[in-house]
Order: sequence, then structure tokens, then C-alpha cells
Amino acid sequence: MTTIEQDAKDEAPHGEAPRRRGLESFSGSPLQVFSRYATLIALVLMVIVFSIHSPKAFFTLDNFLNILSQSSLIGLISGGLTITLIVGEFDLSIGYMASLAGLLMPGLMSLQGLSITFALIVTLLVGASVGAVNGLLVAKARINSVVATLGVGTMLVGASYTYTNGQPIAAGVPTAFLNFAVDKVIGIPNPVIVAAAVLGFLWVILNFTDLGQRLLAVGGNPEAARMSGIAVDRIKIFALVISGVLAALTGVMLSSLIGSGTIAAADGYLLSAFAAVFLGSATLRDGEFHILGTVIGVIFINTGINGLSIFGVPTSYQNIFTGGILVLAVGLSTVARRVAAR
Amino acid sequence: MSSAGPSIEPAAGPGDASPSAPWLEVRGLTKNFASIRALDAVDFDVSRGQVHGLVGANGAGKSTLIRCLAGLVVPDAGTIRIDGEEVAIHTPTVAQRLGLTFIHQELNLVPRFSALENIMLGRRKRTRLGIVDWRATRRDLQDTIDRLGITFSLEQRVDELTVAQRWLVSIARALVGSATMIAMDEPTASLSPAEADRIFAVVRHLSAAGVAVLYVSHRLGEVLDLSDTISVFRDGKLTRRASRGDLNRSSLVREIVGRDLQPEAIADAAARETHRAKSAQAALLEVRELSHEPAVHSVSFEVHRGEVVGLAGLVGSGRTEVARMLAAADRPEGGQILLDGEPLNLKSVASAVASGIALVPEERRSEGLFLDRSVSFNLNIGDLKPLRRVSWLPLLHGRRARARARQLSEQLDIKIADLGQPVRALSGGNQQKILIARWLTRDLRLLVLDEVSRGVDVGARAEIHAIVGRLAATRDTGIVAISSELEELVEFCDRIVVLADGRVVGEVSGDAMTHESVLALCYGHAEEHLEVTA
Repeated sequence: MTTIEQDAKDEAPHGEAPRRRGLESFSGSPLQVFSRYATLIALVLMVIVFSIHSPKAFFTLDNFLNILSQSSLIGLISGGLTITLIVGEFDLSIGYMASLAGLLMPGLMSLQGLSITFALIVTLLVGASVGAVNGLLVAKARINSVVATLGVGTMLVGASYTYTNGQPIAAGVPTAFLNFAVDKVIGIPNPVIVAAAVLGFLWVILNFTDLGQRLLAVGGNPEAARMSGIAVDRIKIFALVISGVLAALTGVMLSSLIGSGTIAAADGYLLSAFAAVFLGSATLRDGEFHILGTVIGVIFINTGINGLSIFGVPTSYQNIFTGGILVLAVGLSTVARRVAAR
Repeated sequence: MSSAGPSIEPAAGPGDASPSAPWLEVRGLTKNFASIRALDAVDFDVSRGQVHGLVGANGAGKSTLIRCLAGLVVPDAGTIRIDGEEVAIHTPTVAQRLGLTFIHQELNLVPRFSALENIMLGRRKRTRLGIVDWRATRRDLQDTIDRLGITFSLEQRVDELTVAQRWLVSIARALVGSATMIAMDEPTASLSPAEADRIFAVVRHLSAAGVAVLYVSHRLGEVLDLSDTISVFRDGKLTRRASRGDLNRSSLVREIVGRDLQPEAIADAAARETHRAKSAQAALLEVRELSHEPAVHSVSFEVHRGEVVGLAGLVGSGRTEVARMLAAADRPEGGQILLDGEPLNLKSVASAVASGIALVPEERRSEGLFLDRSVSFNLNIGDLKPLRRVSWLPLLHGRRARARARQLSEQLDIKIADLGQPVRALSGGNQQKILIARWLTRDLRLLVLDEVSRGVDVGARAEIHAIVGRLAATRDTGIVAISSELEELVEFCDRIVVLADGRVVGEVSGDAMTHESVLALCYGHAEEHLEVTA
């Protein structure tokens, strides 16, 4: 971790990323500082409690890899959502997009007989196209992004049913594809590697590229961005395309993991992703979306769910946990900022 | 149009008719902003039903007085009495309760609500079930509607109404709130002559009904026509209080400017002089018959290399609209912009920037800055490509970016604790310098500054003038500068193009370029315009 920080200090353009972290992390009221670290503190406490309670089930390398594995899918979809939220727009179609991709990927192989590579390319292209449609509706037609992406998402639900006639796709999927999600490289599950690579890539884009600077500018003040000569429309379309592609990739990984194409399999990822990204926005920063925060948010939620299930808490309580934590963390950050502003 | 309105005689100055004490008495009102005395011991009275004209150049103090009465600004000294009783107007709510209503140019209406909903905002009649009783509301309102001569449907959404209709809605809203005084800020600035007549009729009607009207306008003709009393402001002081008939147009201009002038003579001499000086040189920027209805009509002027040209004009003259079209922030509806003789067809700010035209916008905080981002982010955002490690990859060279930001901030003497500091907390002067510095790394051919130094202290103002002047002198960049403060333009510009009502009404340079001559041109035209339309 130190080496990454070190690098960041040396590399970040304008000294932006590390400088802001350094400045914001310990500036402001004590309550504000606490709220920035509350998620991390709670994560550590959670790990300690779970480890003391069930050292054999929770505190094992296998279980940690398991948590990371579970985190990787939500992590991918949340990474795309983070970019969209950074430019100040919403994407409510990601869950449905992931579900559709989860059907398309196995379907293209078993029904249309495409190779793994081609099926993957087509599925990701569909994700990109859906993102581009979202982007055009939001940036060019100026439709409110909540409405536009909800509408497109609803159409994707219809597309899912139309494509499969409501039947799951189980037969005729190559084993090589089914093995991908469970295989490991030097002990690390493939989905974790993919998610880490993608999120690392997004982190680099946001912090070390002029594209990233433009994304932040559009999110910070769209009018000022336009006056600075930034093509605001194109940046917004880009963000929504990224969001669509990563939602599609999430669906691909999910279908490999569950070994079939299942209707509506990833619909629930929408809320989980929003929970993780907003939780992340209250972590280390004061309500600003960022990739590192998103990663922490995803891991936090999955650690909690993992620990609770080891505790024997019924799965129905998981959503209560996720929602409760989200409201608590974002609420704490918001109140802390308001108190500090007085 | 005016005959269609309520048939009520023009008010015969009820203030004069009743010798009793005025309704509103202001004594010794003083307000300082930093080192600037915006209001200097102003005494000011308003009687019921009086139409009271407020005139003066930008920054003369009339708007500060209004802001004090509206509860937006708390005066440093002085008293305000209403019906003989001293009042403290700390908030707009207090002002409203006292019967003081303010209609600003922006007309604070809710665009998506109907006219009726806007009029009744916050005071709807309810049935026993708690449902809004629109029928009773409309019945009660009928009287007011008739009095104002409103003929359009109140069911229409406000954003579908014309500006004049919106004014009527605002006035109706004030009357429903039982206003005793309505202050109107430039009501006719964007109205057609016929629409303006409608407003004049309403003002006269209000006066006859016992409602006082504070009438703020740069159009002196209408102020003279309407007002029972005129108060002239200059440099924060109320310099002249005149009753109807005491002043004519030229004497009023003299009161505002503080000196006697002949606008036409100045304009002619100045134009000749400019022509002589610059005709040898080809223009950098040629603006030909630029139009954008309703604000700009066929504006033409030139800017030469290394020349600082001011765009002067009163509120509503179209100067900001012209500036925005130059930088492609808005698209012209007609006319041409030529840079170095080449016609430009700019589709976006980005394309203007690519052609070497940059704008420092009027609203610094909302249109220019990324307030929560760092100084270096704000400095570098205008020109990121040269900061790449390799030209075909968007990877930025962090050290080079920081070095460039540091160099810019040192070069312009921007006072910061460090480059990572958010710009929100910086002073107006430092923020403005950042917005200028943003463009300095580019090959800039034309820099447009809308409000060169609004909200900038005196020291930083001189520095900004020096920076821009150096840019013009050393790099041959053409400068178009806008400022509401004519002194600043006179001091800073080589030449001033004066706009009024969206047209170029004159041009001054050299010795003819004085605060008074520019101001006289601004008003001179407003007069002509009214004479034509009256």
C-alpha cells in the first residue's frame, strides 16, 4: 500500500489525488475526520468481531478469497457506476444490462454457436451500444438520466425475455467458459483478477489522465467545463458507455459463475452497486465519488454479508444490513459536513 | 396598447397632494463594502401612491438602497421608518410583511407553475378538506386581474409567457400580498415599446390606487414621464431630489454624469480619430452585423492586434450576449465573425478555444471555476494536451503539470498557500487571475473578459489590468473587455465601443474617451430610442 501511495505522490497530475487526500483526510471538524474513516474503522471492527467469534470459518485465507470473489462482480458494475456518478448522471439500467449480458453470453455460444471470444465481443459491444444510447439520450436529447436509463433498462428486461422466451440457458455452454470464474491464477480467483485490473485501470484514468481531469471537471461544474473548452456531451456519453460495458462484463462473469444463463440474475446488482458507491463516497472524502472508496464500499458490504451468514443470520437480513449501513455512513458524512459548515 | 389598460388618470402626485408625513422615511442610511462607501448618509422619502424614479450610473448606490429596503443588506448606519415607526429590515420576509415588494429583473417566478399558481404561491385558499380551492382563488383574484388589464390565461405556465406578461404576473403577486410599495428594477429592459406602454399604464394605475412605485431604470425618458419624484444617485450619495417638471432629459443626464456634454459631437470626433489611427492596419477581429434576438441587433465592430477594446453599455444593452457569441458560448442568429479575415463558424466553446478565442465569463463562480478543485486543477484544465507524456496517450505528466501550474501562479502573482488548495476560499482577485491564467499557455489570439474585475479589490484590479495589458502588448492578443464600471474601461482600454439596446451607438478613443462621454453615449441613445418609440 505504501508503494502505491508513494507512486501516487510522484505521479499524480497537479499533485491532485494525494494532495487532496492529504488535505481532506485530516482537515475539518473532528466529526468530519471521524466520518471519513468511519467505514474503515467499522470494517476493521467487523473483521475483529467475526474473527473472534468464528476464527475457523471467518479468519481463513479461503474465506477472504471468497469475500473478494463475491466482491469482484459488484466491484465491476460499481466501477462503471462510479464514473457515471462522477460526471453527475445516474445509470439505472446497469442491473438489467448485466442480466441481459448474463443471458446473451451463454446464449450466443449455445444457441448461435459463437466461440467464447466472439460471444464475449458481441456481448460487450451490446453493453457499449446500450451505454451509447443512454449517453445520447442524456447528453444530446437532454433527458433526465434517471428517466432515460430507467426507460432503457426496462426495455432491456423485455429484451432478456424476448431473447430466451423466458427459459434459462443451461445446455451447450463450453466448459472452458464455465471454468473461467472458478479457476485461479497463483491462488487468486479469475474474477478477482479481472475486477482488480478493471478498477485499477479506472483509477489510473481518473487520477492520471487528461480524460480523468475532464470527467472530474464535468462532474464538478458542467457550465465551467463547457467554458473551459471541454466537450461536455462527449464526456457524458463516454461515462455511460463505460458503465454499460462494465455492466455487460459483470453479466458475463456472473453467467460463468452460476454456470448458466438465468433470467433477471443480476437485477439486484443495481441497488448493491448504488449502496457500495455511495458508501464509498463517504469514505476518505466528503461525499465525492472515487474508485478507491467504491472498492472499500464493495468489500465492506460483502464482508458484512459473509460474516453475518457465518453468524447464522438469515439471508433476508442481509439487505437490512446493507441499507442500514449505507444510510448510517452517508448520513454521518452529511451531518458532519453540515455541522462543520456552521 | 396603453388605451386598452384601465382608464385611470395619470397620478397627480399624491405625495404633493397630502402634505402629511411620508409613508417611508429613510434617514442617514450608510453602507460600506470593504473600503467602498456604497451608500453615504442617504435621506430618502416615499409617500403612498408616489411614483419615485431612481436614476444613476452603475454603482451609484441605487441598488444598494433597494437591497437595504429589501432586507438583503443590513445598513451600517441610519434609520428606516414606516408610518413614523422605526423598523429593522433584517430579512426579505420582514420587508414583505411591512408591505415592501421587490420585482427584480430576473423575476423570481417558478417557471413550471402556472401564472395563477405563481400569483398565489404560499397563500392559497383551501376548502374544508384542505384542498386548494382554485375557484374561490380565481374569484378573489378577478378584481386584481381586471385592474392590471391581464387578458392572457392565468392557466398558462410562466415559462410560456412573454417577459411583459411575467412582469404583470409579478405585479399581481405583489398586489395579492397587499404591497404598499413595489420596487421595479429595469422593468422595460427587454420589452418592446408596446409592451413597455402596458407596464407604464400599470404603474400609473398602481399609483392611483395608492401603491407607491420605486422605479429604477436607465431609460430616462420613461423615468421623466412616470415619476412624481426623481432621486439621482452619484457615488453613493443622493445628489438631487427633483419633482415632476423640475428636470428635462438633458438636465437629468447632467445630474447623473455630473457635467454637461454633447454626445453626438463626442461620438463623431472619436470615430474620426479611431479611424485615422487604425485604418492602416488590418483588423484581427471583425464582427459584422451580429444578431441574437431580442438582445443584439446587427452589432458590428473591429478589434486590432494588441488592442484593448471595451464594450460599454447599461444593463440590457447586449454586451454580455455579444461577448458570449464571440467565444461561441452562444450561437449567433445572424451576422459574421471574422478572425484574421477568415470567417469563423464556431460550433462550441471548444472550437473557439481551438481557434485561439477564449472567454473569461461574467459569473466567475458558476461559469468559470471548479470551486472544490485545486488551484492547479483550475489552472491546467484549459490546456491539458501539452501535459501528456506522449502525445497519443492521455497519460499526464504529473511533474510537468505541477511545474506549469506553479509557474503560472508565480507569473501572475496568485496568492495561494499551495497548489492543492481548493479555489473556493481564494479572494475574487486571485480567482479571476486563475481564470485568465488558464488560457495563457495557449496561442491566444483573442481574449474576451466579461466583467474584468467584478468583486476584485483595488490592488488586484491593477494587477489584472497589467497582466491583460502585457498579453496585448507582447503577444499581440486582441482584448475585448466588459465592465459595469465605466471608470475601469476608460482607464484600461484603447478604445470603447458603446452599446445600447443591442446596437452600437458610438465609439470613443483617445482624449475623447472619458467616463462622462461614454455615459452620455449610453444615455443619449436610450433617449433617442424612446423618442422614436413614444
